[in-house]
Amino acid sequence: MKNLLILALAMLLAACGTVRKVESGANLVGERMSIKVDGNWNHLDFPGIKPAQIWTMEGVTIDELLVYSGIRDGQIMHPDSPASEKRKDFVFRKTMQTEEIVSMLEGVLSRDGSTFKLRKLEPYPFGGRKGFRFEYERVRKIDNVQMRGVGFGAIDKEELFALVYQAPRLTFFPRHQSRIETIAKAVSIK
Amino acid sequence: MKRRQLLAAGCACCASVIAGRAWGQAAPDYLAPQRFQRPDLTTDEGGLWAMMDREEKALRRSPLVLRDAKLTTYVQDLACRLGAGHCPDIRIFLVRTPQFNASMAPNGMLQIWTGLLLRMENEAQLAAVIGHEIGHYLQRHSVERLRDIKSRAAAGQVLALFGLAGAIGQLAVLAGSFAYSRDHEHEADRIGAYLMHRAGYPVAESAAVWSNLLDEARAREGEEPSQSSPLFATHPVPPERRDNLAQLAKLMPGGSDGKDRYAEHTVHLLDEWLQDEIKRGQYAESLVLLSRRIAAGSAPDLMRYYRGEVHRLRGMTGDHDLAWNDYQAAAAGAVPPPPAFRGIGLVARQRGQKDEARHAFARYLDLAPDAPDAALIQSYITELSS
Ligand SMILES: [Zn+2]
Repeated sequence: MKNLLILALAMLLAACGTVRKVESGANLVGERMSIKVDGNWNHLDFPGIKPAQIWTMEGVTIDELLVYSGIRDGQIMHPDSPASEKRKDFVFRKTMQTEEIVSMLEGVLSRDGSTFKLRKLEPYPFGGRKGFRFEYERVRKIDNVQMRGVGFGAIDKEELFALVYQAPRLTFFPRHQSRIETIAKAVSIK
Repeated sequence: MKRRQLLAAGCACCASVIAGRAWGQAAPDYLAPQRFQRPDLTTDEGGLWAMMDREEKALRRSPLVLRDAKLTTYVQDLACRLGAGHCPDIRIFLVRTPQFNASMAPNGMLQIWTGLLLRMENEAQLAAVIGHEIGHYLQRHSVERLRDIKSRAAAGQVLALFGLAGAIGQLAVLAGSFAYSRDHEHEADRIGAYLMHRAGYPVAESAAVWSNLLDEARAREGEEPSQSSPLFATHPVPPERRDNLAQLAKLMPGGSDGKDRYAEHTVHLLDEWLQDEIKRGQYAESLVLLSRRIAAGSAPDLMRYYRGEVHRLRGMTGDHDLAWNDYQAAAAGAVPPPPAFRGIGLVARQRGQKDEARHAFARYLDLAPDAPDAALIQSYITELSS
C-alpha cells in the first residue's frame, strides 16, 4: 500500500501543489501573525493541510514547517487531509489548555498511522504571549522515516497561533533546528 | 467459470481437501496441503511472491516493527502450533500501528498490528485471528484474489498508471487492499476454527473477537463496520461470520483460553499501545474497549487511567466528572500509574480547586520527575501557589 500512498500523495501534490518562494524578511500569515525568515523557504499551496500553511526548505517529503495563524474556536484541523483516519475531526476550542492543544496536534500528526512520542513540553513565550514549546519524535508511517519535531504556540484573543517543524532525525533536523528556534523567537502577533 | 477451473486445478496440485459440505452437521476435518514451493517468477503467483518479498525486506528494516523478542517468539510459537507442517514458512512481524489488522502474504509473511494485540483478551483469540489468516494462506486465496481483480476493470486503470512492466507488481499491492470473497472468508473461518480446536483452544473465542469488534464499530454512530477497521474492509461480513463461528464452536467443544499466558507476554507493552490508541481520537471506540477491560478486571488501574484520559480529551458535558472518577480510582489502585495524579491535577485546575490541583501535580512530579511535561506541570504548580 505504501507505494500507492506515495503515488497518491505525489499526484495530489502535482495536481494542486503550486510552490512559491517565501520572501526573506517579515511575512504576514493570516491577519495577525508575522514570521521573519531567511534562506530558501518555499510555501506549498496544498489544500489538504488547511487551515495550516506548509512551508519547506528541503522539499515537502523531507521537512515541513506547519504554520497555524488565527485558528478560531470550532475550526477543524486539516479537514481535507488524505490521512486514513480523516473521519476523526480534531477541533480547536478557544478554552483549550496547553496540554489539550498539544494532544490535538499529536492526534493530527499521528492520524496517518505514524507514531508520536512527546519528549518535552514547557512554558515558552511565543509572539509576545504566554505560550508553550514542545519536542517530539515521530516514525512516519508512509515511509518509516524517523523524524524529530519541535513546536511552538500560544492562544491570543481566543485564536490559536502555532508553528510545528519536523524533519528526518538524521541530518535534516539538526541542520535546521537552530534556524527554526530563531524564527519562533521572532514571531510577532499583532 | 474460468476462475473456478483454475481454482480446481490449483487444489488438485496442492492436494488439499476441504470437507466443506459435512461441516454443517459434524465436527470438521481438514487436511492441509504440503509446504509450498516458491512459484516460478514468470507466473502471476511468482510475481505476487516477489512483490511480497520486497515488502518484507522493507518491513524488516522498519522502526515500526516491535523488537520485543519475548512477545515475537511467543506469537511465532503460537503460529507454529496452529500451522503445523508450515511452521518453517511462517514469519511473524508485529507492527506498531494502533488499528485492528492482521494479514498473511502468500510468501509466509504474517503481519499483526498492535491495535489488534491490544484488543485480544486471551491467547485463544489471537489463535483465532492467526488461524484464520493461515487458512487464507493454506488455500492460497490471495492468488485467486489477484486473478479475480486482474480480470476486472480495475486492472485497466492500473495498467494505464504503471504501464505493463509495473502492472503486475502494483496489482499485487493493490490486491492486498481488496476484500476476500465471502466464500474465502467462510473457508478461512472454518479452517481457522479447526486449527485452533486442534491446538487446544475454545473455538467460541473466535466469535468473541468479532463480537467485541462489532461492539466497538457500533459505538461509532452511523458507520458500517467495514469503514472502522482495515480488517473489516479486507475480511468482510462479520455479523454473519460471528454467528457461523458460534455454530462451529458447538461442534468443537473444549479447550483452554490461555488468558494468563497472554497477559504475561503483553502486560509490559500495554501502556505504549494505550497511548497510541487514544491518539487515534476515536473516543467512542476506545471507551467500549476500556470499559470492557475494566469490567473484566485486567490491568484495571491502567485501564481506568486511560479511560479518564479519553473522557478528559473528549471534553463533552459531564466528561470531566467521569474523568475525575476514573483518575481517582486509578490513583487509589494497587499499581497507580503516575499520570493518574496529573489527570487529577488537570481536572482540579480547570475546576478551580487550587489546593487539590497543586497536591496532585506535586505527587505526579514526585513519582515521575523525568516526565516530558514536567516543566509545564511545574509552571502550573507555581501559578496555583500565587
Ligand atoms: Zn479473512
